[in-house]
Amino acid sequence: MKPLFPKWMNIIPTVGAVASFGGLLTVIAGTWYYATPDYWEVGYMPVQPGEGFNHQLHAGQLGIDCRYCHTNVEESPHSNVPAVSTCYGCHAETRLAGSEFHRVEFIREAYGNNETIEWRRVHKLPDYVRNFPHHVHVNAGVSCYSCHGQIVGMPIVYQHESLSMGWCLECHREPEKYMVPPEQITQLVWVEDEWMSQPVGDRVHEGVTAADLLQSLHDAPPQNCGACHH
Amino acid sequence: MSQDQCPSTRGKKEIPSSRALNKTGSTSVWRSPEELAGDPGIADWLEREFPAGASELGRRTGESRREFMKLMGAGLALAGAATIPGCRRPDHKIVTYSRGVPEDSVPGVPLYFATSMPLPGGGAEGLIVETHEGRPTKIEGNPLHPINRGKSSSWSLSSILDLYDPDRLKGVRYDNPARGVLGATLDDFLAWQYDHFRRMDTSGGSGIALILDHKTSPSLAAAVDRFRRRFPRADIVVHNAADTANAAEGARIAFGSPRREILEPETADVIVAIDRNFLDHEPGSLVSARQFAAGRRPMKAGDRMSRLYSVESGVSETGAAADHRMRMAPSSIPAFVVRLARAVMDQVGGDSGLSQSLADVALSGEPTQREADFVEAAAADLASHRGTSLVCVGKNQPAWVHALVWALNSALGNTGRTVRSLPAPTMATTTLAELASRMQAGQVSTLLCLDSNPVYDAPADLGFAELYSSVENTVSLSVGPTETSEISTWRLNGAHYLEAWGDTEALDGTIAPIQPMIAPLYGRALSDLELVSLIADGDEPVGYEARGYELVRAAWRERLGSSGPAFDRIWRRALHDGVLAGSAPRNGMQAGVDNARVASGLSGESVPAGPSAESLDVVFATGIIHDGRFANRAWLQELPQTATRLVWDNAALLSPATAEALGLEPPSGIEGAYTATQLPKSRIAELTVDGRKVTIPVWVMPGMADNTVILPLGYGRRECGSVGTGVGVDVYPVRTGATLAGTRGATAQRARGTAELVSTQIHWSMESRTSIVRQVDLQYFNEYADEKVKPKPDKIYGIEGRDVELNLAEQMGELSHTPANISIYPNPMNRGPKDPDPDNPITPDELGNTPAKALNRTVGPAFSRGPQWGMSIDQSSCTGCGACTIACQSENNIPVVGKREVAKGREMAWIRVDRYYTGDDLNEPDQILHQPVACVHCENAPCEVVCPVNATVHGPEGTNDMVYNRCIGTRYCSNNCPYKVRRFNFFDYAQVKFNGGAIEGLEILDNVPNRNFIPPRLRKQMEEIEKMRQNPDVTVRGRGVMEKCTYCIQRINVAKVEVKLKGLNGPDGSRMPDGFVQSACQQACPSDAISFGDILDASSRVHDERENPRSYMLLGYLNTRPRTTHMLRVNNPNPALREPVDPLAGHGHDDGHGESHGDDHGGESHGDDHAFVDPAGKARDKGYAMSLRVLGAASGVMA
Repeated sequence: MKPLFPKWMNIIPTVGAVASFGGLLTVIAGTWYYATPDYWEVGYMPVQPGEGFNHQLHAGQLGIDCRYCHTNVEESPHSNVPAVSTCYGCHAETRLAGSEFHRVEFIREAYGNNETIEWRRVHKLPDYVRNFPHHVHVNAGVSCYSCHGQIVGMPIVYQHESLSMGWCLECHREPEKYMVPPEQITQLVWVEDEWMSQPVGDRVHEGVTAADLLQSLHDAPPQNCGACHH
Repeated sequence: MSQDQCPSTRGKKEIPSSRALNKTGSTSVWRSPEELAGDPGIADWLEREFPAGASELGRRTGESRREFMKLMGAGLALAGAATIPGCRRPDHKIVTYSRGVPEDSVPGVPLYFATSMPLPGGGAEGLIVETHEGRPTKIEGNPLHPINRGKSSSWSLSSILDLYDPDRLKGVRYDNPARGVLGATLDDFLAWQYDHFRRMDTSGGSGIALILDHKTSPSLAAAVDRFRRRFPRADIVVHNAADTANAAEGARIAFGSPRREILEPETADVIVAIDRNFLDHEPGSLVSARQFAAGRRPMKAGDRMSRLYSVESGVSETGAAADHRMRMAPSSIPAFVVRLARAVMDQVGGDSGLSQSLADVALSGEPTQREADFVEAAAADLASHRGTSLVCVGKNQPAWVHALVWALNSALGNTGRTVRSLPAPTMATTTLAELASRMQAGQVSTLLCLDSNPVYDAPADLGFAELYSSVENTVSLSVGPTETSEISTWRLNGAHYLEAWGDTEALDGTIAPIQPMIAPLYGRALSDLELVSLIADGDEPVGYEARGYELVRAAWRERLGSSGPAFDRIWRRALHDGVLAGSAPRNGMQAGVDNARVASGLSGESVPAGPSAESLDVVFATGIIHDGRFANRAWLQELPQTATRLVWDNAALLSPATAEALGLEPPSGIEGAYTATQLPKSRIAELTVDGRKVTIPVWVMPGMADNTVILPLGYGRRECGSVGTGVGVDVYPVRTGATLAGTRGATAQRARGTAELVSTQIHWSMESRTSIVRQVDLQYFNEYADEKVKPKPDKIYGIEGRDVELNLAEQMGELSHTPANISIYPNPMNRGPKDPDPDNPITPDELGNTPAKALNRTVGPAFSRGPQWGMSIDQSSCTGCGACTIACQSENNIPVVGKREVAKGREMAWIRVDRYYTGDDLNEPDQILHQPVACVHCENAPCEVVCPVNATVHGPEGTNDMVYNRCIGTRYCSNNCPYKVRRFNFFDYAQVKFNGGAIEGLEILDNVPNRNFIPPRLRKQMEEIEKMRQNPDVTVRGRGVMEKCTYCIQRINVAKVEVKLKGLNGPDGSRMPDGFVQSACQQACPSDAISFGDILDASSRVHDERENPRSYMLLGYLNTRPRTTHMLRVNNPNPALREPVDPLAGHGHDDGHGESHGDDHGGESHGDDHAFVDPAGKARDKGYAMSLRVLGAASGVMA
């Protein structure tokens, strides 16, 4: 009797098993890769008012220190975005009347009307993270670079790191790998080229080593839930 | 008396099916009538960790499985719709300052400003307000203010709710006689009043009447003076419905001029409180509570402790705190005072004329034996403590009794020491009754009501509402809507005290500025000071700007007699400190009591026979919402009321015997009141008071005087915003001008139907576990405290085993019967310095430095490096006022849930105050005890081990942390928590509008009489303005998330950062100065009963208290090692009335209890009692669950 199924069909269970195994792997791999802040959050670059604040120009070429605008970063949990009056300090009608003068008309307009400028927030932690104190990190010697990337090279700021909890803990577990001499924290180019590029044991700046920085910590960075979630 | 509840003395026979009472030898401890009776229904209730929780769906009609699927389907569809746009990250804006950047503002760092809040009935509290970027969020007591000293009351703490109340008046409204109600602006009103009052200048203001709230404010007084200069013929009335005028009249009799009483119980060794709750809800109660508690806190043998006698008709905090409490009908209390005064005068030889008058007061009937003994003992105690005793009497007692008490204090030499008086000038020129008669006669054409609400709370016989409508021009100024504002011609939106300038004079005369924290939220608004001034000064309407700032400064300048830079210095200092330095009069007691006047005041007085079931005494009481003005504060409505633990309601309170006699006991019987139905049913009474009738539900209140009915005022508001409107029953309609304090001869009948009253008295019960509240009499405390000082309780577990002995408090509990509890599984967190972690040795790395890991306290000897947080709660100091609950609610964004949800046991308060009765007589319990319980932060936390997702974990500093974003809502943790301190968000309580009605399209709910019954899922979303009061440092929890006390970890974190950045560390680099971080409850507690800090810091208060012989671990025998320890209550009984009870008597505790235990109890069942480690392998004798059953069985046998 002719068999009901041809012989080649014997392969179907094998193929099926391999395919479903492959499918499962694909799902896992896909989830692994896509369903993470690394994929969804990194690179977020919202459109800013005007044509956006050019950090590459201001902080990079002009060499303005981060703290010229983000004035409270050493004393407040928030790193403030400057008031319109700070922008106007340089971009007033009577100053910096170069070829790009008209591009910052919106600043003068906001200043003139005593209105705010609604910048778009790039870095945002979830609401259940109640405690990311900038001042503690900055004073302990965590450079802006570690969390925000090479800002001085960004014409428009985007999110450079995932800001996921695992990413936070990487540093909290081994802070010596990320700490820089506190007076150098805003020297982002130096931090990237001269400090982070070296092996941890070789990092020295004016006699200060990575190990010295670690010992300067009053407490180890917390790794308990209650430090950030409350 | 002692609460020794040693389970092993009873033997366990079998496990009963129902929970039985905590019976302890001669004394029972219970929380509700049905618990005393051992009602089987209560077991059912208690067995569920959230009594009426998950299984509700499907039980009630209309919520079938199909309904459930429908709702779920709709929910999923909505979720899907919401997710599609949600793929894109939402745009978050950063809104920067523009030109004017506030000088001191650092975004993200809160600023604190001093201000003060006027209290109802005069007096004030000095406050510190936390503001975030200009937005007030939290109110705290001002440490520099002599009333507060850093503490605060529920009233000031909850005042933030009024500021962000979405129901506030948002603009001016004009009721035009011709054209009806019109929207208007403040300018319209300014123009109108300018013309209107200018026309009245010629007549000297005849026809103008001004009704003011009773406030003490120098600038307001100055403004009213100017008002009277402009309109000398105007009537000025000061109206405070809660006031009975008895105290003022009594002082007038005693001194010849109006004076106010200031209690200073700090140095009082004997206090007799007569129908007086001086510990709460009074302008001076913060001071009284603090000073009283300071004298009730013996830390070692021989410490001074005061003795409090209380005679009262209801059950108050003062009665609960008393060493000897006697319940007595209010109309019989004057007789008690007369007898007491006679006895005291006999002993101290007071004024003979007064003694003669006292002898002449006709008292009907003979005192009971108990009363006679009580009088004798109290009088002897008073007489032997001249100058260090205190007698005080409540506002509901007649004026001549107040005068007599002044004379009594004077004869005892207490005046100027424990009680003093200050002049009490009044702004009033006439009374409300006189004003009403003029209104009746049509002589009033313009009536201004400032922050007062006479239409609602004026005496019923005046018919004020009708009279008010008959006045041609009525102007009302109030922050929120009131019954008065709604029928006024001009309804003005008032400025909240956080929005306008002003000043206050506290009870002791301290002057403090009111400093605005924020501009009026809804455009221009006037304060009462500004409104009175603008009329008094005839301000031009065009270009008018609120000028509170200048007004206050001008009043102060005049008062201080300084100006220019000198004044500015004083002013700036006063603004900074929140008090005007040196403003409190220093001379204690200028006026002397005039005994002759008191004697003549007594003449002709008589005290009639006490009440009977046919002729009830009526008391009009005020409580947490005062005269009704705080009715729209949801926190206060949901705070369980003193003694009754009722929420969201008032009820006629009756003693159990009276309720039974009148047939007003609950339908399920006097002892089955609560658990018979899901929503407890109460009878409704129709009360006839002086011919007026009110229909009101009845609550049976053990410990009350018989044949007395207490009617709480302030409920049944008709216009006060969505929270308070319709809550409870308005009893003002039976209160007349002659019966402000109460009356006699009322009758009660059962009305048709039943009512649902919700009380939390049996919620969060620690079931029949015993030795929860412990207490000792002072004599035995003195005897045992010193010789039995033993290491602090938490040393008894862990590595050292049981080679240490127990302190006094622990000897009184199960721990003394519990054998060594040494686990074969070492808890890594419990490691001590002697016991480092072998798996994680600390070794230097290749660079020779200690690795970062080693710095981290989670590795190595955990719990041995500071700070290690702990709390101590002193039950001797706690008055049960509930300020801790409100402070916690404010600090931690805790939502209110509404009456219906509370009935299901879903209230969210993280710290609760449990109220226990002791004694076997339902009608006359021996004592009322209070015990605050919040999460005790167990070192061996039962909740942590059962969480499947690690959402509750331990921090290295000993806190039991809740990680909200991990929580999936299994509620296992709550089930496993022996303290019942975990709270679950069954709904989006924090997001829905609290009581503001249903979502659109559900007309069926429009007719719900009490909006609190609307379930949360059918409520509207909260308005944006309400979210402004939230603390930005604390997550707002969503639905399906468990929460509980965090030890205010946000404050700990902020403090740690502060210490780090400012280099405030101690020499070892790890200590935080004691008191640098305060939990919100600790900060608020008026009686300083809560201490919090680093338990390893030998200089900290919490460390001291944990080492004290009074400290015990609540349910410590479960080996939970709580970080919050409780200190047992110490009573100071008078041996003439009650013999002190030896708490350790009969248990052989004296001779090394742990070891010799078996010998003391004899053989019969004792061997079995060490069931915790019984080697015989009885299956039921293993572990934690077993211990519950053993204890249940033990108490069952006794019951």
